[in-house]
Formats: sequence, C-alpha cells, structure tokens
Amino acid sequence: MSPSRRDKLNVMISTGHLGTAPSGLESFMAAIETMPDYLVADGGSADPGPVYLGENIELGHFVMEELELFLTESRKRNIPLIIGSAGDSGSNAGVDSFVRKIRDIAAEHRIPKFRLGYFYSEISGDFLANEIAAGNTIRGLGHYGDLTPEEAHAATRIVAVAGNAPFLKLLDAGVDVIVAGRCGDANFTAAPCIHAGFPAPLAFHMGKMIECASLVAEPFMGKEAVIGTITQDDIRITPYHPDQRCTVASAAAHSMYERETPFFEHTAEGTLDMRACHYEQVSDRVCRITGARFDPWETPTVKLEGARKLGERYMGIAAARDPHVIRSIDAAIEWSRSAIARRFPGEPYELHYHVFGRDGILKQREPLRHQLPHEVAVVVETLHPDDAMAAKITDLAVRMFFLARIPGVKGTSGASATTKLPMKYLPGYEWSINHTMRIRDDMNLFPTTIIEAGV
Amino acid sequence: MTKLYDLTLAVRSKNAGVDQVTFDIIFHDRATYDHVVASGAVTEDSICDLFSIRPGDISHFVYFDVANAIKFTLYRPLPNGSPGDWDILGCQQYGPLVELEIPD
Repeated sequence: MSPSRRDKLNVMISTGHLGTAPSGLESFMAAIETMPDYLVADGGSADPGPVYLGENIELGHFVMEELELFLTESRKRNIPLIIGSAGDSGSNAGVDSFVRKIRDIAAEHRIPKFRLGYFYSEISGDFLANEIAAGNTIRGLGHYGDLTPEEAHAATRIVAVAGNAPFLKLLDAGVDVIVAGRCGDANFTAAPCIHAGFPAPLAFHMGKMIECASLVAEPFMGKEAVIGTITQDDIRITPYHPDQRCTVASAAAHSMYERETPFFEHTAEGTLDMRACHYEQVSDRVCRITGARFDPWETPTVKLEGARKLGERYMGIAAARDPHVIRSIDAAIEWSRSAIARRFPGEPYELHYHVFGRDGILKQREPLRHQLPHEVAVVVETLHPDDAMAAKITDLAVRMFFLARIPGVKGTSGASATTKLPMKYLPGYEWSINHTMRIRDDMNLFPTTIIEAGV
Repeated sequence: MTKLYDLTLAVRSKNAGVDQVTFDIIFHDRATYDHVVASGAVTEDSICDLFSIRPGDISHFVYFDVANAIKFTLYRPLPNGSPGDWDILGCQQYGPLVELEIPD
C-alpha cells in the first residue's frame, strides 16, 4: 500500500474497550458497509487497576460476542482487523486467550483460511534488573522514583507498552488479523496509517482521536462506530450513529480526554504535539483536523507497567443510622482499628475504611466531609498474605462497629447494621512499576508470531 | 452567583495514567468561558482550597481556549486500583466542582 496507490485511508472503530459491553450493531453495520480499509479495537487499558495484569483476568463479559462480530464481518469483506492490548492488560495470557477465541470463532463460522499475527509485550523483572545493572536508568513517571532491581523482581507481572514496530512488522508480512499485547492506545490506528505512507503526526493524532470510538462525537454515546479518514494533509472524523455529530467542540474536547495536558501525548516513538491543531466543521457530522506535529525521541522509549501483589483481600460493610453513631464514626473506626492492632500484633495486615455518605470517594479531598449525613456505610477493606487471616481480620474489624463503645448512644442492641460475613474480593495489587525505559533494537521486546486460522 | 453546572457542557474527571487524575470543565461557548476565566473562581488557588491540596499536587493547569475549557491534572493520593482507592477510574473526583459558585 504505497502512497501513490491511495490518497486516503479509512480506519473504523466501534469500541474503546473491547468486551465491556456490546458494540451498537446498527452503527457498526452502517460503518463497515462503507468498506473501511481497517477495523480496529482497543482491547484494554491500565484504567481498571493493576489486579487484571497481576492475576491475568479479563474483565469484560462480552469479549466473545464482540470478537465474533468483528471477525465475521471483517473477514466477509476482506478488511484487516487489528486489536490492541488484548485481554485488558495485554499480558501474554491475554494475547493467547484472544488468539484462541479468534481461532475458535473462525472454525465455528467456517471462515476461509486467513493469516493471524500476534505479538507479546511481557517483560521479566530479571530483564529489567539486568538493564539497571548495565546502566540503563529506568525512570519513574509522576511520583515514582527510578526503578531499583528489588522493585523489578518484586513485581508479579510486567508489560512494556509497544509502539508501531511490531505492528509494522506484521503488516509488512501481510497478515489479515493482528492481536497485540500491551500497546499504546494510538498505535493500533497510527501503525496502519504510517504503513500506508501517511504522515506520522496525522497518524498519531488520528489514533488519539478515535481510540474511544463514539466518545469523540456528541451527544455522549459509548460503543458506537466512527471512521477516521487520513490523507496527506488532514484527518476527518465521521460518526455512524444517526444521532451523533463530530463537532469542533466534541473533537477538541476529546483531544484532552484522559490525558495530563491537551497539548502533548507521549508514545514509544516520540511526542505528539497538538498545540497548533486546528479543528473545522466540514459538514453537519464531520470534523476536519489539521496541524499536529510530532517530535521523535532520540532513543525509542517504552512505558513499563508492573503489578505487585500485596495480599489476599476481603471486604465487609458496617452501616449506621443513629445520629450519635454517625457523629462518632471516626471514634468507631478507631475502636475497630485498635481492636485489630491489639488482637493481631505483628501480623502483616493492611486495613482501609471507606466511609460512604461522607468521603468514601474523595477521602481527604472531600470538601463536605465535615457535613453529617443521615446514614453512613463503612466498607472495611483488609489485606493479608494468608486468605483465612484476611477473612478473620475483616470479620472482626466489621464486628467491632456492631460492638463499638460510643458514649451517649442509647441503642444498646448494636451500634451498626453489618454484613454477617466478610466478602472475598480479588487480591490486592498495586502499580509498582509506572516507568519508562530506553530501548535498543536488539532487545526484541515484542516478539511476533504468524499462524493460520480458519478452514 | 451561578453554579458551574449551569454554565458547562461537561464537567468530568478521569485517570490520566495510573498516578494522575485529570479534570475537564468545558463551557457552552466562548463568552461563558471567558467570563468564568475572568471571574477568577477557577484557578490553581481555588482548586487547592476546594480539594484541600497543595500546589505541588497539581501537575498541570491550563485555560484551553480551543475547546472553551479549563483543564487541570492532580496527582492521586494512591495509584489507581491500590487498596484504599475506591474511584479506580477517577471518574467521580469532579463531584465538588459541579456546584462551585461562579460570580455573575
């Protein structure tokens, strides 16, 4: 696909997070019937938290349905399909799971043979520790300090966020479907645009604009199809839900969505600079965007994401309606916390009290946390390396609200309504690695494989 | 006084990476945006007061003319999804902005 052969490329997307809910079928069909050059989808994100990477869990309940729709409809029309960050975290197990599902769907629907390319993104703690030892400083983002070998080894699972390179390798090989490990949100769109000869600044900007599908248009709708069109000079965004329009306001608003600044976006290749971008309404539904610039890194640099397990986790709920108890809720929390400290001295537990009705969501940032609610619920969240101990500590911590000794309370039959038993939850993890690493070609961080699927 | 809610197309918050949460206040039109910016009701200082944070907790604050929007980004007390963090997507952190009073 050299630039001489085409003056524009159409990339279709209908979901910003594959599998969390079904894509809107009507707009999907309307968009795919225009015969776009690529169908793409984002399979994951770090947004849901570190436990999905740590435990190799997929969070969506509609993964199979969406993959079935995407694969059958794209193969029918010979449109290449690209899925980024497979299985939510982009771990190797997530990639394997998506590859398996695609092969199963292809067999079940008797789809004629096609070539399926995939790549992995996991990286080991040993690898990172060796890099650190060799003098390759692995820099922390935000509040994170430079990575130590101990931190590298302590992580349960680590992925590197791929740029265009593994996509371009698979596209060069002419595959029909790509299942990517962890990758940048813009890259599964930018890579095919760059592969077809379009300018990198526009390609990355289009990737950024359409990664969440219909969120770029108005009114607010999730999971509806849009098509991004790239030329040598501009990009255009067209929504396919009949009630949606991509306007200057909606496109400009989306350019700042879930990013620290509206002006810059970092990728493995460099920084997208949107300071000089211009948005213009070219028809009722279509917005045209120009002016993106791109500054490549001197040395390609990947982001690393690592999850470290902190322990098994249980939760329990204690709720109060007595205004005297509510007024003394901090004393009740202290009563519970100190009871655990007395009963389990030296145990490696972690206790959190989420006070819903007061500041459960914003915690210390809640401006109204001193306003007394008429009802309050305390969710006790407990971690301990041992499952039975986590359950036991949660149970006692919750029961202590029922048994809280609060002066002046006349309800002498129990100071809170509580769950009878603690509830087992997913283990507790933290993002222990949120860093960047300079890379070299010989690292081969994103090994690719091509197989055949279909019948 | 008018509440921010009545002047905006969108008031929202969302993770920007695992260590930050970003806030977008998007106004109906340029005149409303200009009025709110000029009012001084939404500044780095007022955000520090509202959320009881220090200036160092703000990683970015910008009046974004192209989108008629005010955007700022805060460091999170905990990375998203850590035990102790309930708002894993950061998508309800904007709550206190909704009823912020803007001088007429």
